Amino acid sequence: MKVRFWGVRGSFPVPGTGSMRYGGNTSCVEVRAGDCDSPDGTRLILDAGTGLRRLGKELMQGSFGEGRGKAHLLVSHTHWDHIQGLPFFAPLYQTGNKFHVYARQRDDTHLRTVFALQSDNPYFPVPFDAAAADLEFAELSDDAQFAIGPVSVRCTRLNHPWIAIAFRLDFEGASVAYVTDTAPFRDILIEQKFIRQPPKPGDPLQPDDAAKLKEMRDGVVRLCEGAQLVIYDTQFTPQEYAQRPHWGHSCPDDAIEIATEAGAQALMLFHHAPERTDEQLDALLDQHRAEIAKSGKRLAIHAAYEGLEVDLSRGGVGEIPLVPSVPVRSGTAIPSNPPQKPLQRSAPKESP
Amino acid sequence: MKVTFHGVRGSIPSPGPETVRYGGNTSCVSVVTAEGDLLILDSGTGIIGLGRQMMREAFGKGQGHAAILLSHAHWDHIQGFPFFAPIFVPGNTFTVFGNARSPTVLESILEGQVNPHFSPLYTIRNLGAAFELQPMAGAGQAHRYRKVNLLTGENPHGHATCLAYRIEQHGRSVVYAPDAGYPPEGPSEEIVALYEGSDLLIHDATYTPEDRALRIARGYSSYADAAQAAVRARVKRLALFHHDQDYTDDQLDESHRRCRDLLNQQGGQDIELVIAREGLTIEI
Repeated sequence: MKVRFWGVRGSFPVPGTGSMRYGGNTSCVEVRAGDCDSPDGTRLILDAGTGLRRLGKELMQGSFGEGRGKAHLLVSHTHWDHIQGLPFFAPLYQTGNKFHVYARQRDDTHLRTVFALQSDNPYFPVPFDAAAADLEFAELSDDAQFAIGPVSVRCTRLNHPWIAIAFRLDFEGASVAYVTDTAPFRDILIEQKFIRQPPKPGDPLQPDDAAKLKEMRDGVVRLCEGAQLVIYDTQFTPQEYAQRPHWGHSCPDDAIEIATEAGAQALMLFHHAPERTDEQLDALLDQHRAEIAKSGKRLAIHAAYEGLEVDLSRGGVGEIPLVPSVPVRSGTAIPSNPPQKPLQRSAPKESP
Repeated sequence: MKVTFHGVRGSIPSPGPETVRYGGNTSCVSVVTAEGDLLILDSGTGIIGLGRQMMREAFGKGQGHAAILLSHAHWDHIQGFPFFAPIFVPGNTFTVFGNARSPTVLESILEGQVNPHFSPLYTIRNLGAAFELQPMAGAGQAHRYRKVNLLTGENPHGHATCLAYRIEQHGRSVVYAPDAGYPPEGPSEEIVALYEGSDLLIHDATYTPEDRALRIARGYSSYADAAQAAVRARVKRLALFHHDQDYTDDQLDESHRRCRDLLNQQGGQDIELVIAREGLTIEI
C-alpha cells in the first residue's frame, strides 16, 4: 500500500513563496493498494481539496483518460478545503470512469445533494449532473466498517463543526489512519450547533460532554491502534488553539499523545495552517522530533508535503525523504498546460 | 486612484513554484481613491492577503468601511470571502455590490458559501461586520458611491453573464472586465462604450488565442480579445488579468510579448500593456 500526498493544507489554498516546499494545495491524499496500473489494484482518494486537480491530471494520462478508471473517494467532511478540488477533477468528466464517494450520512439531506450544491448555479458553470463518469454515493455512519475490494475500512467520529470522520485503511498487513479534521477531546464538544462563545481550555466540562468526548477519543485511539502511519490534523500551535478551541483543529502534541497511546509507528503532521511558512514547518518538525527523542517515545514523526510518497508495503514507513530544499512539483512530470490538440469526437466534457 | 492586484488567477488557486512570480491566488483587485475610500473588486483568495493588510489599520479596530464589487458569483470570484479577516470584526461595514435584482439574491449568494455543510461560519449573521447589499441589475446601472461614479456593463460568460465595472473619479477611470466570452463578432458596442478611453482597462485574458479556440464554450477571452477590445475602446493602459490556472510564469511572459506585438499591429502602439501580477500597484 502506497500513500501519496497531493494537498497538505487546511482552510484554503496558499500560493506564494512561503509554501513552495511543503505545498499550498488543500487536503488530498491518494492511497494505492496493489498495482493500480493493473485491474487488480484498488485506488482510494482521501478528501478532495485542490490537490485533487493535479492528481486528476496525472490520472488522465492513464486508464482514466480512456474512460476505464475506477477510484474510491473517502471524504472526511464537506468543508470547502476538503471538496473544492472535485469540480476540477478531470476524470469526473470522462464517460466510463467509475467513482464511489463515501462520506458521513447527514440528517437533513442526501450526500449527493451536498456535493451537487458546490457545482450549482450561480457558483459554478458546470452542473454536477454533467459529470459524465459513473458516480455512486455511500452514506456512512460514524462507526462504519466495510470493505473496498481487498482493503478494509473503518471509521470513527471526530470533534469538528458539523462533524467529521476519520478513516483507517488496512491492506495485506499495511495500515494507515487518516485523522482530520479534529480538535482534541478534552476542552469542548463540537457538534452541529454553532458555538458563539467557546469555553476556555481547561474549564470544567458538562458530564454528558465529557462522556461523549471520552468515547470519541477512545474511538480515535482504537482506530490508530498499531497503525504504521497516522496522518493527523495538526493545524494549530498551542497559542492558536487556546484562542480558537471551537474551530476543531489539533496541535502536534495532541497528535503525538494519541499516536503514542495507540502504539502507532509513525505520525504525519497534516492539514498545515495556511499562514505557516516552509521555515516554520521545518522548525516545528525539528522541535517535535527533539522532544520525542528526549522523551524516549518510539514514534517516528514527519510533516506531510506535496509529492511525498510513503510505501507501507514493507513494514514500517521506510525511509521518508526530508522535504526537498528546493521546490519541486508534486508527483510525476505533468504538462503545465493541456496539450494543444484539437478536440476529438469522443473528447471528455471538460472541467472548467 | 491607486489600483493593486491581490489575486490574478482564474478558476482555482494554483500554488506552486511555477506560478510564484505572477501569483496563484484567484481574482481580487483593490482601488483606493484620492480620498482614501477603498473599493474591492471581487473576493477570490487574493482578498485574504488584502484582509491581513487591512487589519493593521482601521479594520483591525472595527472602524473600517469598504465597498466590495462582485462581478459574478463563480467560486474564483468569491471564495476568499469567508477567510477575509475584517468581516469578523464588529464595527466594520461593507457595501456589497453584485449582479442581482434584489438584496435577497445577493444575500443568498453570500449565505450559500457559508452554509454549515461547507463552512464553520453557518450564516453571514454570525459575522461581526455589517453588510449593506446593493444590487446592480445587469448593464447600464449607474451608482454614486461616496466620491466615485460606478457604471456597469455586462459580458457574456459561457451560460452565465459577468458584470464589468467602470469606476470614475476626477476625470480618471478604471474599468474591471473579468470573465468576458465575446461572440465571434467581438465585444458589443455597449461594452466598448463602458471601456471607452479608460486610464486602465483590467481585462480577462484567461487564454492564449490557440487555447481559447479549443474552449470557446467556457466563455473567456484570450489576450488577443483583450487587445482588440482595448484598441477599439482607445484605452490608455491594458492589464491582462484572470490567467488560466495551468499557465506558468514563463508562459505568461510569452503571452505578454505576443500581446504587445498584436497591439502594435492593430494600431494600439500607444496603449501601455501590463500583465497583472500579485502585488502590482498602478497609480492613475
